[in-house]
Amino acid sequence: MSAAVTRNAGRRAMLPQWATLPVVFGGIIVLLWVVVGITIPLWTPYDPTMLAGGRFQPPNASHWLGTDALGRDVLMRTLYGVRHSLPIAALVIFCAVLIGGTLGAIAGFVGGLVDSIIMRLVDVTLSFPPILLAMAVTAALGPGLGNAAIAMVIVWWPIYARLMRAQVLSVREREHVEAAIAAGATRPRVLTKHILPLCWSPIIVNATMDFGQVVLLAASLSFIGLGAVPPTPEWGQMISDGALHFYRWWIAAGPGIAILSIVLGFNFLGDGLRDFLDPRSK
Amino acid sequence: MRTGIRTILLAGAGAAAILSGPAAAQDQPLVIARNLEINSLDPHRAFCDTCQIYLSSTYQGLVKLAADDRSVEPLLATEWTSNEDQTQFTFKLDPDAVFSDGSPVEAKDVKWTFERLKNLQADPSFMMNGVASIETPDEKTVIVNMESPNSEFVGILAAPYVGIVNSDVASENGAMAGEDASSADQAETWFLANSAGSGPYVLDTYRPDDELRFRVNENYWGDAPPIGEIVIDHVADAVSQAQMLQSGGADIAMQVDPDTASTINSPDITIETVPSYNFIYVMFSPGAEGGDMLDLEVRQALAYAIDYQGAIDFTVGGEGELQASPIPNGFPGTEGLPMPEENLDKAREILASKGLEDGFTLDITVASLNVYGVDLTLLMQKIQQDLARVNVKINIQPVASAVWREQIANPGIPFSARFYAPDYYGSAQYVQFFGMLPDTYWERNASGQGKVDLVNKSEVDLFQQALAASGDEMNRLYHEIALEMIKDRIIVPVVSPNLILAYRSEIEGVRYSACCNLPLAEIGRK
Amino acid sequence: MTTYIVRRLIAMPLLLLGVITVAFLLTYFTAADPLTSIIGERQMNNPAVVEAARERWGLDRSLPERYLIYLGNLVTGDMGTSFRTRQPVAQDLMVRLPATLELVIAAMFLGTIFGVVLGVLAARFRDGPIDNIARLFALVGASAPVFWSGLLVLFIFSVQLGWLPGPGRIDTRAVAPPFVTGFYTVDALLAGDWAGFRSVLLHLVLPASVLGWTVTGIVSRMVRASMLDVLSQEYILAARAKGAGPLRVLIHHALRNAMLPTLTILGFSFAYLITGAILTETIFSWPGIGSYAVAAARGLDHPAIVGVTIVGGAAFLISNLLTDIAYALVDPRVKLSQQESS
Repeated sequence: MSAAVTRNAGRRAMLPQWATLPVVFGGIIVLLWVVVGITIPLWTPYDPTMLAGGRFQPPNASHWLGTDALGRDVLMRTLYGVRHSLPIAALVIFCAVLIGGTLGAIAGFVGGLVDSIIMRLVDVTLSFPPILLAMAVTAALGPGLGNAAIAMVIVWWPIYARLMRAQVLSVREREHVEAAIAAGATRPRVLTKHILPLCWSPIIVNATMDFGQVVLLAASLSFIGLGAVPPTPEWGQMISDGALHFYRWWIAAGPGIAILSIVLGFNFLGDGLRDFLDPRSK
Repeated sequence: MRTGIRTILLAGAGAAAILSGPAAAQDQPLVIARNLEINSLDPHRAFCDTCQIYLSSTYQGLVKLAADDRSVEPLLATEWTSNEDQTQFTFKLDPDAVFSDGSPVEAKDVKWTFERLKNLQADPSFMMNGVASIETPDEKTVIVNMESPNSEFVGILAAPYVGIVNSDVASENGAMAGEDASSADQAETWFLANSAGSGPYVLDTYRPDDELRFRVNENYWGDAPPIGEIVIDHVADAVSQAQMLQSGGADIAMQVDPDTASTINSPDITIETVPSYNFIYVMFSPGAEGGDMLDLEVRQALAYAIDYQGAIDFTVGGEGELQASPIPNGFPGTEGLPMPEENLDKAREILASKGLEDGFTLDITVASLNVYGVDLTLLMQKIQQDLARVNVKINIQPVASAVWREQIANPGIPFSARFYAPDYYGSAQYVQFFGMLPDTYWERNASGQGKVDLVNKSEVDLFQQALAASGDEMNRLYHEIALEMIKDRIIVPVVSPNLILAYRSEIEGVRYSACCNLPLAEIGRK
Repeated sequence: MTTYIVRRLIAMPLLLLGVITVAFLLTYFTAADPLTSIIGERQMNNPAVVEAARERWGLDRSLPERYLIYLGNLVTGDMGTSFRTRQPVAQDLMVRLPATLELVIAAMFLGTIFGVVLGVLAARFRDGPIDNIARLFALVGASAPVFWSGLLVLFIFSVQLGWLPGPGRIDTRAVAPPFVTGFYTVDALLAGDWAGFRSVLLHLVLPASVLGWTVTGIVSRMVRASMLDVLSQEYILAARAKGAGPLRVLIHHALRNAMLPTLTILGFSFAYLITGAILTETIFSWPGIGSYAVAAARGLDHPAIVGVTIVGGAAFLISNLLTDIAYALVDPRVKLSQQESS
């Protein structure tokens, strides 16, 4: 893929190197959804949980994606759905990075027994297939988007812990860190001022790439009845509604395309970034 | 070499074509599409709708519910008598009756069955409540002595859970009937692979979430059923069931809802809509946290504010009936009861007289469940809109059914929705569950485990009398109780959803039964 | 190398114990009382019934006691009895595991074939429209929720066109082949049941395609990358110079060398397939581990949740281990050092 990058960059010198077609395409999709999510109450008068017309209307002029079993507008619910999916994904990633990053940094910097305990915890958590662990956690906590979010943080933090630990381990060998230690800087100061600032970039790239996966897992949990509960206009929940009436294909079509597009957007972004960062794309 | 391979391939294809071609129709198993949801196949632990179908086809009770869904007919017992005050029942067993292993049905089997049902302390054990002792003067006579009058006892014996088990075979496989049965009995797993009754069918195989397969009982002592092999295939949702029916993969679909039924448009398929004895109700719990404003008058006002017909149209597309009291239409005592009424003016008037014309807010939870075609959350959303008309705002929090069941007991839920299906034909079960008698399920939960006094003394007295009465007198007493239960305004039935029987037109004998759901032995091919 | 593998092997049982402990602890801290999934509503107020159920299912014991009993039983292969199916969990899993494996293997097979074809095409027509279409197809597969694409293909190919059968593993009227391996394809062949075999294969097509699509991208990316790697190497250029046709070079030289890394990548796709299988099984009423797990999680069936989580964790651990070992084996640097030492 490196060839593609350089060739494109050569052709369009005004664009920065990372702005390959997939990245731009993915970025536009994601940006559109963010704009919809923020502005939708301004330009739609409907409440997505209230009746908008007759039940089971196929797509027509007044309901572009038809209506569902309750006579609610599918398009409206689909658009409102982003107000659940994106914030949940952002929250999950943020918490996972915060928790995983902190623990990983401590493990890498302190080492010894602390390192062992944290990393064994990481190993055990990563030993579960993600969805199974998330299912077990939500089964324990009870359904609900909040609980699903907790479950997903539990699934994701070890990934960042491992990443952060590796970063800290490599950075702490550098000369300026050793110099700081020699100059008598306190350990917390060395960690926060001299090591951490150099560790963030791969974590941020990884977080971007995980966004789509979080959206997908959240929708999956809702689909099997362990995430959002009705009448929340959540995409996975809406598809599970649609599955109950699946001759009326349009009920699931809206949320299905929504998930597909947003995850595709993030995957394009991630794919493009990965190509840029790792030309051999292992 | 090449020709060789081709010949083999062709031969294989030919064999496949022959095997998959239409075999003789009568030899084919009958396929029923249904969500299995089986909790157990042990007759004394099972308690589910599919269990009713299974047990009533593989086991037989002393008596059975007749096709009119009201009267009781002889089955294993040819005759029975009761004493004057309904405390002693005597049964004579049919001399011809044999179990599926060919051994005769004897009094000791009956005694063993009743004792095991009682002592296992499982879900259906309540059916043996009040049984004091069982005597077996000879091999074909059983005498049951009750602690107190129970006019419904014979009716209860028609329930599938009271089917008589071959005690010798079951005991050999770990089943116990003694007082320590609840911990000593080890037979539940065995019952998942074997049946030990005298019914027209025996269990062939059961694979959870996959299929339940019956084959005909070779030693059946009655008339052999028309179909030799029946499969209940696990199909979770209504649409898939309808699709299987249309593609010919299934002969009967049991849980097709009105919405899905309206998409079926084929001459090969018969769709019948019949009233059911299942119902969905809403209930008020003045003793629950946040429910203290729900006194009798306010409950009355809110009951007036519900648009009952609208709810039926909305939840089941009009395919349902109104129901007056917590005793379902058609059960003893329900004739001529006043149906629930929507009356917004009265509702507003009452609320105004209480100084509540500006309404109040209720935070409630409801189980996110779809039962008998009704989505409880959806029903609650409809009622949310109804109550908004009298300025009462309800915030709905849907939860898993198990969570709901915890919350309803503690801290209680001021207002919610639930469902009920009969366990046998008789009205006492409803009084014992819904009535405001001390320690019934809903007396405990609605009162916040006794925080407020909801006990209705006249219900207590009337029920005592009803249990000792029979015939018209019993009907009259249950009618009185039903009127009292309506006045309580704790339980407000909203809809009794109709049942849709969808089957391929070459099938006959499909019938809904109050005790047994679908009597398999009556089904045949034209 | 050897020390690496030995170290991983030693860590395995410890990780497994961790997996068991976490799975067990999780279900202990549930929000709802598991009794609600054992006892019906009507009897919840009956102290005798509640007491009997608590005792029978061991819920009256303390957590450490239950944990030790569970561990002790687990050693003998006893994972307790499911609240829901009332059968031993181990037995339930034994019956369902082949169903899931059959689906996953079929999906892997389809996914690999498609992935290899796409990867080869993409490498051959690098940066051209075919490359981009192949990439888009793979990305859509990885992005589309299987619970929606499953519905979609069911609606199109089963309901509308009637080409393929709907949910389930075998025709409803057919009797499942006698249990030998639990793989219906194999069992039907062993029983010489051609109609059954055909029905089983047809039932596999839709769910396996939907599931396989999710890993197409992983495979095609790997094939493409290693093909490009190989194609640029000297012996390929030499083969070309000798006048070998482009197709011959592609298949004979390049693909063969690209296959080894591709096989190892399949291990990584296992996680995707587990996730996908759980959702695919739900849509296609596939009586495998996935639908069992979903039903258990919904119904608070604790013994089943613990059992399925342990089995899933163990499978995941083993596949990760095998993948890592395989990866270490084919890693060029490792290979080089081995050659030098030998």
